[in-house]
Amino acid sequence: MALPLSESHPMSATLRFFESGLQVGALLFMGVVYVVRLVWLFRFRSRRERTFPAGHEGAGVGYSLMNVAMPWAMESTRKRPWLYAQFVVFHLGVAAAIAATFIIPYRPTLFAVKPVALAFQAVMAAAFLVGVLRLVRRLREPTLRLVSSADDYLSLALMIVFFAAGVLAVPNRFRTAEWTLLLFFGLTAFFLIYVPFSKICHYLYYPLTRYYLGRTMGHRGVLPPRRQAGGPRPSADAAEARPR
Amino acid sequence: MRRKNSVPSGIVDAPLETGSQRAAVEVRIPSVLDGRLRTYDRGADNVGAFLRLLGERMTRDLAVSMTGCVHCGLCAESCHYFLSRPDDPTMTPVYKADQIRRIFKRHLDWTGRIAPWWGHAGSPGNDEDLNRLKNIVFGACSACRRCTLNCPMGVDTGLLVRFARGLLTEIGIVPEGVFNVSRDEWETGNQMAVAEEEYLDTLQWMTEELRTEMGTPDVEIPVDRPDCNVLYTINPREVKFDPRSIANAAKVFHVAGEKWTLPKWGWDQTNFGLFSGDDRLGAYVARNVYEAAERLRARRIVISECGHGYRSTRWEGYNWAGLDQKLPTESVVVTLLRYLEEGRIRVDPTRNAEPVTFHDSCNIARSGDLLEEPRRVLGRVCAEFREMDPNRRENFCCTGGGGLLSMAEYRPLRLEAAKVKADQLRATGAKLVCTMCHNCIDGLNDVIKHYRLDMRVVQVLDLVSNALVVPDVHADAGH
Repeated sequence: MALPLSESHPMSATLRFFESGLQVGALLFMGVVYVVRLVWLFRFRSRRERTFPAGHEGAGVGYSLMNVAMPWAMESTRKRPWLYAQFVVFHLGVAAAIAATFIIPYRPTLFAVKPVALAFQAVMAAAFLVGVLRLVRRLREPTLRLVSSADDYLSLALMIVFFAAGVLAVPNRFRTAEWTLLLFFGLTAFFLIYVPFSKICHYLYYPLTRYYLGRTMGHRGVLPPRRQAGGPRPSADAAEARPR
Repeated sequence: MRRKNSVPSGIVDAPLETGSQRAAVEVRIPSVLDGRLRTYDRGADNVGAFLRLLGERMTRDLAVSMTGCVHCGLCAESCHYFLSRPDDPTMTPVYKADQIRRIFKRHLDWTGRIAPWWGHAGSPGNDEDLNRLKNIVFGACSACRRCTLNCPMGVDTGLLVRFARGLLTEIGIVPEGVFNVSRDEWETGNQMAVAEEEYLDTLQWMTEELRTEMGTPDVEIPVDRPDCNVLYTINPREVKFDPRSIANAAKVFHVAGEKWTLPKWGWDQTNFGLFSGDDRLGAYVARNVYEAAERLRARRIVISECGHGYRSTRWEGYNWAGLDQKLPTESVVVTLLRYLEEGRIRVDPTRNAEPVTFHDSCNIARSGDLLEEPRRVLGRVCAEFREMDPNRRENFCCTGGGGLLSMAEYRPLRLEAAKVKADQLRATGAKLVCTMCHNCIDGLNDVIKHYRLDMRVVQVLDLVSNALVVPDVHADAGH
């Protein structure tokens, strides 16, 4: 595939291959594995709901899918805003890094605008720090240590390295620091091949788990939560009643 | 399958074989003989059977919950077991679900088949491994689904636990209490083995009590009356231990002028198939109720106050039985609310003067749809209501859910895990905790007794009946 770069850029053939041909090949591989994975999942039979609805399945699915953007909706995120903030930063970093893999080879002029490059670097640097915090948490918390597999550790470690490589690659200094780009695009290609077999492909499952949960809970009127109208007005709340 | 680690674990080491199963085989009870009720056979290939069933019964919603977990650990603090044993990581939902997930990965997920060591995929090696899984899914989880609604990925751990229970039930690796109750339900059509004579005698006794109390011979508890508006279905616990709740319902139906009946067969709305994961048992029990309604040409099925009974009869039973729902099927609390809102019954809230709090049953609040209805009723029949914190969908389990009340071997762990519930109850300062679930009554009573709380448990119907203003029967004869 021809790159939309001017011939005045003295890019090495290796880097050219890393930025384009390798990525396309890896991306195709990932796409094929994802299709196989989805076919495998959809071969399991689906249940049929036979009851009268108490709510709306579509509303339940919508609410369930949007849950990711509603930290107040779940106690687990509401009570730990710090962890939710980490989640947001980490995934913004993922988005920035993925975007960079397309911007560098196909719209390099964008990163020539310094504030844009700096913004991408800042997001990925923050995600790098969050990644380190997440790794520390995974190593320190007994629960996470107990359930974590080699894949959990490697996926996180790779993401941390990927963010760092992204920070270095965004300035796109292929004349003076080609290795940063080779590292970034080499990691990207590895990710594209590795991700379908790792926990990182959870984004493929997220819509499915959320869809099925939302469909069931929507049908039953559990999700979205109904407004708390018409109930008794508590005559004393728990805090007031607590023995002193 | 067991992983080598030195973490503290409260998972109970209950034995594999039980006396009840041996006795059932020896006396050749029909449900065992015809294969409806499975018993453990030491000589059989139980691991092979378990793995075969795993493949056969896997559904898409289960499969996505098997693959979707990212091991973030956010579910941990939604679980009352972990909150009460915070130093025990084996009490977390993610760990418990992972014991099922590992087997799925090893045998059904091709990534786990290729490199099992990479993602903690594993296989049960022998019956003892399956027994440990039993002690996790039956003994350390009430399947309350609190973790499900707190999972950022939407992984339905409650569903996975019930699924694993169902596979184990199919090879007879179940707690003794689960076997006993399932046996009773298969053999007698109700989970407490109430004989028809005992059932009818109790109804007669309650009818006489009511007539004396209300001073009228008109009040009755009809059985098998056709063409009624309401087919009322109850919990066998009401017949055995709390017949007054049947009388309370009869009193309200009488005052509301309702045309109602209990069926002679198919009156048990509870369903141990929900707890054991046995869809065939679930279908059998639920079908009894639906067929009773059809036989008597009832216009509506009303379910007495029972969390798992409501979930089973209203939501799961039709699916288990493969029957499309034809009749409105509702909780008696909804019926009560309708009577109140339509003015068919009148109440005096000052008769319930003590402060009341409400405990949401997991099966109703998280797996069903009734959050505001009981509160709207309580708002009319109580003088002082105090909300529990947390409440509604976020309420904690009474700790007796998931059939745990029938599993004596897990009682110490259950009561230890009940600390969260005890703290929650104590903080309300209420004297009465109201719940719309017979299972929760026993669960909460255990908590109250164990943690020495100064409160008692009541049901919505108790409070409505107590507050009920009974009109002059002669003046209202034409109602």
